[in-house]
Amino acid sequence: MTTDALNEKHSKLDKLQLMALSGLMVIGALFVYSATYANPVEAQKTWYAQIWFRQVIWYGVGLGAAMALCTVSYHTLARWSFVFYWAMILCLVAVLIPFIGKTHGWGARRWIDLPFYQFQPSEFAKVAFVLAGANFLSRPPEELRQGLIFWKGMGLMLLPFVLIMKEPDLGSALVLVPTGLVMMLVAGTPQKYLVRLIGVVGVLGLLLVGDILLAPPALRIPIHDYQRQRLLVYFGQDFAPANATQKQKAEARELQHKSSYQGQQAMISVGAGGMWGAGWGKGKQTSLQFMPSGSAHNDFIFSVIAEEEGFVGSLLVLTLYGVILFTGLRIAGQARDRLGKLVAAGVVTLLFSHIFINIGMNIRIVPVTGIPLPLLSYGGSSVLCSLIALGLMQNVYMNRRGY
Amino acid sequence: MLVVDELKKNDPQLRLLALLLAGGFFVLITGLWWVQIVSAREYQNHLEMQAYRTIRMPAVRGKILDREGRVLAENRARYNLSLYFDDLNDEFTKEFERLRPVNVVTKGPPFWEFWSHAKTVQTNRTRLTQKQKDALMWQARYNVVNRITADVGHRLGQPLALDFKKFVFSYQQERAMPFTILTDLDGGQIARFQENFAGDLGANLVLQSVRSYPGGTTAAHLLGVLKQDDSSLDGEESFFNYRLPDYRGVTGVEGKFNSELHGRAGGVSVKVNSMGYRQSEDVDTPPVPGQNVTLTVDLDLQRAAEAALDAYSQQHHVNVNGAVVVMDVRNGDVLAMASSPTFDPNDFAQGISTEKYAKLQELQAEKNRATFENYAPGSIFKTVVALAALENGLNTAETYRVEADPTRPGKGCIWIGKRKIDDTAPPGDYNFKKALIHSSNAYFIHHGMIVGVPKIIRIGEEFHLGERTGLFANQETAGHLPSAAKVASRDWRDGDTANLCIGQGDVDVTPIQIAVMISAIANGGTVWRPRIVARIEPQDPATGGTATVFSGGRVWDRLTVHPRSLNILRDAMLDDVASSEGSGRDAAVPGLNIAAKTGTAQVQDDRNRLIGHNYWFASFAPYESPKYAVVVLVQSATEGGSGGSTCGPIAREVYQEILKKETAGKNLVAAK
Repeated sequence: MTTDALNEKHSKLDKLQLMALSGLMVIGALFVYSATYANPVEAQKTWYAQIWFRQVIWYGVGLGAAMALCTVSYHTLARWSFVFYWAMILCLVAVLIPFIGKTHGWGARRWIDLPFYQFQPSEFAKVAFVLAGANFLSRPPEELRQGLIFWKGMGLMLLPFVLIMKEPDLGSALVLVPTGLVMMLVAGTPQKYLVRLIGVVGVLGLLLVGDILLAPPALRIPIHDYQRQRLLVYFGQDFAPANATQKQKAEARELQHKSSYQGQQAMISVGAGGMWGAGWGKGKQTSLQFMPSGSAHNDFIFSVIAEEEGFVGSLLVLTLYGVILFTGLRIAGQARDRLGKLVAAGVVTLLFSHIFINIGMNIRIVPVTGIPLPLLSYGGSSVLCSLIALGLMQNVYMNRRGY
Repeated sequence: MLVVDELKKNDPQLRLLALLLAGGFFVLITGLWWVQIVSAREYQNHLEMQAYRTIRMPAVRGKILDREGRVLAENRARYNLSLYFDDLNDEFTKEFERLRPVNVVTKGPPFWEFWSHAKTVQTNRTRLTQKQKDALMWQARYNVVNRITADVGHRLGQPLALDFKKFVFSYQQERAMPFTILTDLDGGQIARFQENFAGDLGANLVLQSVRSYPGGTTAAHLLGVLKQDDSSLDGEESFFNYRLPDYRGVTGVEGKFNSELHGRAGGVSVKVNSMGYRQSEDVDTPPVPGQNVTLTVDLDLQRAAEAALDAYSQQHHVNVNGAVVVMDVRNGDVLAMASSPTFDPNDFAQGISTEKYAKLQELQAEKNRATFENYAPGSIFKTVVALAALENGLNTAETYRVEADPTRPGKGCIWIGKRKIDDTAPPGDYNFKKALIHSSNAYFIHHGMIVGVPKIIRIGEEFHLGERTGLFANQETAGHLPSAAKVASRDWRDGDTANLCIGQGDVDVTPIQIAVMISAIANGGTVWRPRIVARIEPQDPATGGTATVFSGGRVWDRLTVHPRSLNILRDAMLDDVASSEGSGRDAAVPGLNIAAKTGTAQVQDDRNRLIGHNYWFASFAPYESPKYAVVVLVQSATEGGSGGSTCGPIAREVYQEILKKETAGKNLVAAK
């Protein structure tokens, strides 16, 4: 340890961010275990085959990948960014082909089965988009005034957006929008473009919601039934049409119950946690399988933490995320060039979008949509991509000094 | 603040982004605070509600014991064979997979194996709609449970069938509860089950407490019947998801002391998972067992009284309508109270068949004839007339000539105005004693008319005839005695007085009232409130709790008559049994001096047609120091009986049992 290493300005890595990161990984391993140990199928497996341990392995793999990325400057990576981007676009197209893309029983074609793991291209596409977007937008601000460049930038975002929507994976597609918008903002896109863009996005969003809630069946945009139902649940709408028969009403009520079940159970878990929670491994919602065992360790890991550790635990998780995101912003501020700043800002926004949507759906701030909680939710692709994204950020930090 | 410092010198875009992040975090934290702190209670309740099912556990009902602690009503363990659905979940799934239709597909080899010319045969699951899946799942569940039921039946040697509807109901409504497939296993079946296949079927023995009356019909009316009633009593938890069968006493002691016998039901929470299957159980509030009730009744006397009524029924090939009451004249304790026809309260506790119930209804077997029916007293009411006359200064030696009935040779009669009243006694001269033991109507009507009806009514009122004794609130009639105002009115005729003097017409009594009356005559004038429950005490003395003792000898009233009058009456009653001419001689038991008054009353229907007779035998013993009052009533539709010849033998059997106990030194000491 030299004084240099202790000096924040000259430290090689952002230690504060790394500490928060380690904290989250410990929490992740602990609660993936807690969410799955009561599952009889899981309990029969030897310890190294259990889900929590696989999560630990993914943390290792992710950290390795992040470190590997830090060995080359982000400038070099940015030069290859379009290669990554188009490769991911290719994967996203491939995943839509029935023989290649797999549904794993979830009704959406999102995975490509590799011998050792189920590869989820949409996760990687998000990171590739951040890198490619940053590279594209790092050109001089004057060029961004040109309509053509603006539309190219838009296209860069819309292409993966449409493909991911097609899977369908509404949540993953939607996080691309704020990420893209923020990167454009940080890049210095003229305000009038941005205001218009936000206006258009807002109007489109309102139209979409209005269409789903109010339009007669003939005029509805074609989205999956379950997506529509989730939105109806979120907006507290009755499933049954006004002129439904008694039987239809009963069916609609049952469907409504089914559709709102997950979100409701998540909210019960979170609320029942109270201030201090039930204690680690003592949550009833998962052990009694009210929280469906397929999603407790996955998209709804936060509900497990909140039930077992209470409001205090929730605050701890939010604090750790806060540290990562605000150190991320600091890295963006300290970056030596526009590219670095855009990469860091993009990663921060991407992570924040995930966090906000995921925790928000646990407490009914946003509709239920399948989106992982970075670093905590179980899932190889998600963990790997989150760590790669953080690696990129550290890369920017390491290379902040202009020689 | 490092972050802020950095941002200050940077461009406004990053500052905007930081603001957005801060805003987002603020929204999340506020939301979490709202859900986890402000509304926590609500969600915890919701969690409890979906994860727990509460069950009402009835308390063990208290026993009913006779005065010596012999059991009249208790609880029997009943073993049911039950399944827990949570144990069968895997079986359900397996059966479902087995039932699920498949289609076999033969596919060509994949291109990289085409030279091998192999064909792959693949079985695919047929796609099913949700409805088809649900129907198939029900079928699977039913198959599994039905298979186990049939298997159990086969191995226990008792064919069993599973009702689909009952199964569906139980699965939907009571999934966390044991599902009973066979109730009330006998000892052999339990042994066979335990030895051969306990545990390997998913079936368990579940213990259930059932009310049991070891004596069968013994004291049935006294004990009363239970009715299934699972509702919560006052002061008990009132919300439960499930209720185990519980019972409420309706009649008799079971009914009157239901709240003491019943105890307090407790509650059990069963933790269930999202499928509704049972995970674990917790006792929230343990049930508080009911208290034991000790009666004043003596089981031997009770049996003897019932056996005597039963013997009469056997002998005459009828289901006799009758009652026997035995009372301790020294304190009013009811020592026996029998009513016929009778029934078995076990039938009510364990479920009675409709035919059996219809038969009981037809016989009015549930009615306690000792308390719950008005009967014309007939000649036993002459004791009241006698006391009124004696108080009025009747000269017992003076005779009254009964004139002969011109239409019935050898029988007497008396004229009241233009109306002739028959006498069963022959014409001739009668003094008091002779009139009593021959039960001369003419003599008592004559003297009753002299005394005047108001004085007779006053004596009747001192005996509290026409009032409920209060033994069983909802199973007692008051009898009837005309009021002083009524007999003073213009509508009251001499003929009515004449009728009243021989216990006919406007007067009705119950056997328990007569027992109270005879006791007062025997004991020198104390009218007791009859007592049937001696004490109520906790089932387990170790657990503490207070016993309630109902003191015996509660004085209801004291006769205002002179002791001399009572002595004269008792003396005459002794002769009624002891004398060879006495109407009660059939009751005589050697070694015991019994004093009695017999009676026969005509029973008329609404149109004044004779439909039967009430035969009475009202007695006490021993004459020297009275202890027991025995009252027998038999109602018969046939002619030719009499109080002495019909009821005397029944009373004799009771007295024989009394004598047996007395000589064995087990004299029934009056309870303190």
